[in-house]
Amino acid sequence: MKSYVAQRLGIAILTLVGMSMVIFALLRLAPGDIVDILFSTAGYVNEADKQALLKELGMDRPYWVQYLDWMRQILTGDLGKSYRYDIPAWEIIRPLLPVTIELAILSIIVAVALGVPTGVISAVRQDTTLDYALRVVSLAGLSMPSFWLGMVIILGMVSWLGWIPPMTYVRPTENFKAHAIQFALPALAVGYRSSALIMRITRSSLLEVMREDYIRTAWAKGQAERVVIWHHALKNAILPVVTVIGIEFAFLIGGLVVTETVFNLPGVARFLVQAILWRDYPIVQNLVMFIAIVVILSNLFVDMLYGVLDPRVRYGS
Amino acid sequence: MSRMRVTISLLVPSLVLVIALGTPAISQTPKSGGTLNITQREDLPQGFAIHETQTSSTVWPSMPCFNNLVVYDPAKKVESFDTIVGDLAEKWSWQDNYRNLVFFLRKGVKWHDGQPFTSKDVKFTFDMVREGADAPAKLRINPRKDWYANVESIETPDAHTVVFHLKRPQPSILMMLASGYTPVYAAHVPPANYRTSCVGTGPFRLKEWRKGEFVEYVRNPDYFIKGRPYLDGLKYVVIVERGTRSAALQSGAVDVSYPGETSKTQAEQLKKAVPQLVVTPVSENVNNNVIMNIKKPPFDNLKIRLAVSHAIDRRALIQAVYQGGGVIGAAMAPKPHAFWGLGDKDLTALPGYGNAAEEKARAKKMMAELGYSPEKPLKVEMVTRAIAIYVDMASFVINELKQIGIESTLKQIETAQWHAMAVRGEYQIGANLTGLGADDPDGNFYENYACGSPRNYTHYCSEQVTKMIDQQSQEIDQKKRLAMVYAIQKKLEEDAARPILSWRMDYFTHWPYVKGLVVQNNVYNFGRMQEVWRDK
Amino acid sequence: MAASPLGVPVDLVVVTAPARPGWGTTLGRFIHRKPLGAAGGAIMLVMLVTAVLAPWLQTHDPIATDATYTLGRPNAEHWLGTDHLGRDIYSRIVHGAWVSLVVGTGSTLLGSVLGGIIGLLSAYVGGKTDLITQRLLDILQGLPLLVLALVMSASLGPSIRNVIVAISIPIIPRAARVIRASVLSIREMQYIEAARALGVRHLRTAFRHILPNTVGPFIVLCTAQLGSAILVEATLSFLGMGIPEPYPSWGRMLSVSAAEYAQKAPHLVLFPGIAISLAVFGSNLLGDALRDTLDPRLRGSR
Repeated sequence: MKSYVAQRLGIAILTLVGMSMVIFALLRLAPGDIVDILFSTAGYVNEADKQALLKELGMDRPYWVQYLDWMRQILTGDLGKSYRYDIPAWEIIRPLLPVTIELAILSIIVAVALGVPTGVISAVRQDTTLDYALRVVSLAGLSMPSFWLGMVIILGMVSWLGWIPPMTYVRPTENFKAHAIQFALPALAVGYRSSALIMRITRSSLLEVMREDYIRTAWAKGQAERVVIWHHALKNAILPVVTVIGIEFAFLIGGLVVTETVFNLPGVARFLVQAILWRDYPIVQNLVMFIAIVVILSNLFVDMLYGVLDPRVRYGS
Repeated sequence: MSRMRVTISLLVPSLVLVIALGTPAISQTPKSGGTLNITQREDLPQGFAIHETQTSSTVWPSMPCFNNLVVYDPAKKVESFDTIVGDLAEKWSWQDNYRNLVFFLRKGVKWHDGQPFTSKDVKFTFDMVREGADAPAKLRINPRKDWYANVESIETPDAHTVVFHLKRPQPSILMMLASGYTPVYAAHVPPANYRTSCVGTGPFRLKEWRKGEFVEYVRNPDYFIKGRPYLDGLKYVVIVERGTRSAALQSGAVDVSYPGETSKTQAEQLKKAVPQLVVTPVSENVNNNVIMNIKKPPFDNLKIRLAVSHAIDRRALIQAVYQGGGVIGAAMAPKPHAFWGLGDKDLTALPGYGNAAEEKARAKKMMAELGYSPEKPLKVEMVTRAIAIYVDMASFVINELKQIGIESTLKQIETAQWHAMAVRGEYQIGANLTGLGADDPDGNFYENYACGSPRNYTHYCSEQVTKMIDQQSQEIDQKKRLAMVYAIQKKLEEDAARPILSWRMDYFTHWPYVKGLVVQNNVYNFGRMQEVWRDK
Repeated sequence: MAASPLGVPVDLVVVTAPARPGWGTTLGRFIHRKPLGAAGGAIMLVMLVTAVLAPWLQTHDPIATDATYTLGRPNAEHWLGTDHLGRDIYSRIVHGAWVSLVVGTGSTLLGSVLGGIIGLLSAYVGGKTDLITQRLLDILQGLPLLVLALVMSASLGPSIRNVIVAISIPIIPRAARVIRASVLSIREMQYIEAARALGVRHLRTAFRHILPNTVGPFIVLCTAQLGSAILVEATLSFLGMGIPEPYPSWGRMLSVSAAEYAQKAPHLVLFPGIAISLAVFGSNLLGDALRDTLDPRLRGSR
């Protein structure tokens, strides 16, 4: 087990290093840099000033030097200085993280709360009208652009209820009720989408498991249907569901970006888009690496969970 | 007895009514206290470093922190020479035939960190901004260096007197010094600090800048005008999406809109939802124009440029792109919204401002003479910035040009590359917006039409016009100067140097309990919030 | 007549192989067994037809502005109303179908084919090459789809060709994964061993024997990714980094201006969004049904 974890960790680190190189290169491919933007917003270009600014930001050094410098900074826990704001990146990102994390967690809760029960019902009542209806509704969730769903929700609130949800970020300490409402809507929008996938996986893995012999045996033994389903089948079906939750996390980021924009929440995802537009390399690089680390860690965690729960699985097969 | 009673019971209310109707509205007494939530359209690009910025996104939320030497009277709507009042300067006087400008500074003014304000700070700021030979510090980016090109030197005979020595007479320099773009920095604070925080003399002290979220100010108890500011605090709330800004204003989450960001349609929507909102139509001092690269074919040909100008129906553009929220005008903002612009009478004679159908026919004929028609069009590439309002305008222009035989594809340029591309002349034709820092011909003409100016994107260079610009800059007589400025505007349109399409109107909106905020005809100049108070 | 041992006069005894089911019957069976999938297919067909016939189906020029009727409600002349510049929304949606289809299928095919080839070769060669390729694909896949597309779009600049490339990049590792898994399972089959034993050349083996068997998973993969590609394009356009003017893009129709005028003209928000949702819905339905039909082993898994 130990070597398994060590091997996976080693692979994960290698992957992360590879990702850092890809991100570093991609960003520099983009035409224009922060200096161009700063001068653009100032409305003029002065070569001498531009060179001085490049030097100040350390951008005049050869790329490989800049890359190594970045790696060194990460290893020492230094997230660098934002090009745009001129202050340490961590200082800017820190207040934004709780918002995104809260939204992400709430969305996953909504997704599981919506997806698992509907998946179970759908599996148990397979091929009935209810099953079809649920599958269509959940598929609709996968098909709608999440930003559109957000816009429609707000539009609906304003047009039919004549009520505008809080549009500026309210801290939970300031006004818990407003904060709860403010997060409920976007969590619903993002969660609905994720619930679709969870519902499908729950349904299909439950169907598979239900065909197993020991389930049939339990039925034959006469235990109440409910007990059979919930105790035996669900326990085994949980595994793929957990896998999907882990993978969904990566998809979540995309949904968070647009939802934070539509609902005006000051989160990390929305900030990432701004940083890309401003070519704020330190912020973009570090944020993307952070997301990658979270994704890889969650994959690793899920894999290990698999390894613990299902002894048949081992690396290298 | 009862008759008496009836009479009295009728008399009293009628008396009250008479008094209420008959008496002119007495201006209410300002109340102290309360905070104001103000819309901020994006996070501050340069922090509070006004001298390093060219966008209202930095100026609007930074103004409360600073003072200028002089300002435009915050109680007057239209800015002009006559509305300039003292800020840090108590009085000033021109000497030696408008060649020396002497400022007598207030005494007893303190910086937010307690240091005293002296003439040293003024000299520091303006030597730095004009990049004088012995400048004490250097700005990282200096967009308005040219505003002070005429300043020879700055002298400080004593702690409360400053003298600007000019190379030649330039009355306009006062106009530029009154703009929101010319605050006074502190000599004892490194200019780089202003990118992250603010030490000023202004009515409000910076409390916190939470990146991407808000900027918060508290009242400056040591402000040099006793009794000001009225408000206890300000909060600039960052809302990036336009739809969200509207919703926030509607629900009262913010009290004041962002200057220049409320279109006519949005204002109508808001007013319908909340009838008591106060909407003030005002000119933003921002114009839409078409830039054509005069150095490269096909727009090096004056005839084609004129055809473009004739083809675009200005009034229809205002209707289509701004739903009527704009006015036509030439190179300077038109009356009555501003001072120097050509009036309707003079405008209709210029290319593109006459009857739309006639103008299009004329343009079509001009193109036909050159061998182009809608069946056999001239193919060009139009550039614009990748921002919705630019794209909308460009879409409209493309459609207009299509009808006279110019077919354009649209290329959207990101902010990062826009300016560099324009300066290098790597474009043929573009849809552009230009904002003016002050309603003054000097600022506008030198920046946008003088040979070799970095913001002269079209690379237009006419010796005659440059001479005319220099002449008007030195003219002391207002009337004579006005005539010269009219002549320049006409010439620029006749040369199709940068055909102006429209001047945007902003429909600035705020809740009725916000008092004392007079919206001026320039988005960069009225954000100090010194005279603003809350009635609730 | 010859005497026949069967006792009945027989002219000829014909033995034929059972007739192969014609296309009509296969389709009919599909519609009957998978009505949802058929519905999805119908939606996709409608979209395809709309896209191809766009210039004839439109009622107005999609880029023609009309200052006199901005933000107009749907009426007889403008079936779906007009936007803030007076452009006909119905015509723009019709042309948007072409854009979405081109970008969606373009990026899906590009990504799937490239990824498929990588997956096929990687699985077939095996060994160290396979391992390294897997790690490289991990890297690409580890970056969230939208973020990668955003950065690519910013790097390449907004143009229809660049958006296709930007969206295809995240698809490559996913396609490679699926094809590789499929190839690995086929590789072990007996008849491949037999072919190898007979000395058939490697490449021939790969392309002649293995490839046809990956068609099923490949089709499933494509339809699954198509919906995702359309969504990513819509999101990129919404964020302002997608297809530039003048091509009408459903996603861009939903961006800034729609939100701004939503209260006054909700049709600006509703119609393009419905169009996107329908297209993705159709492709998902079709993809699901195809997967169930073509590759029963994958039924019930992701």
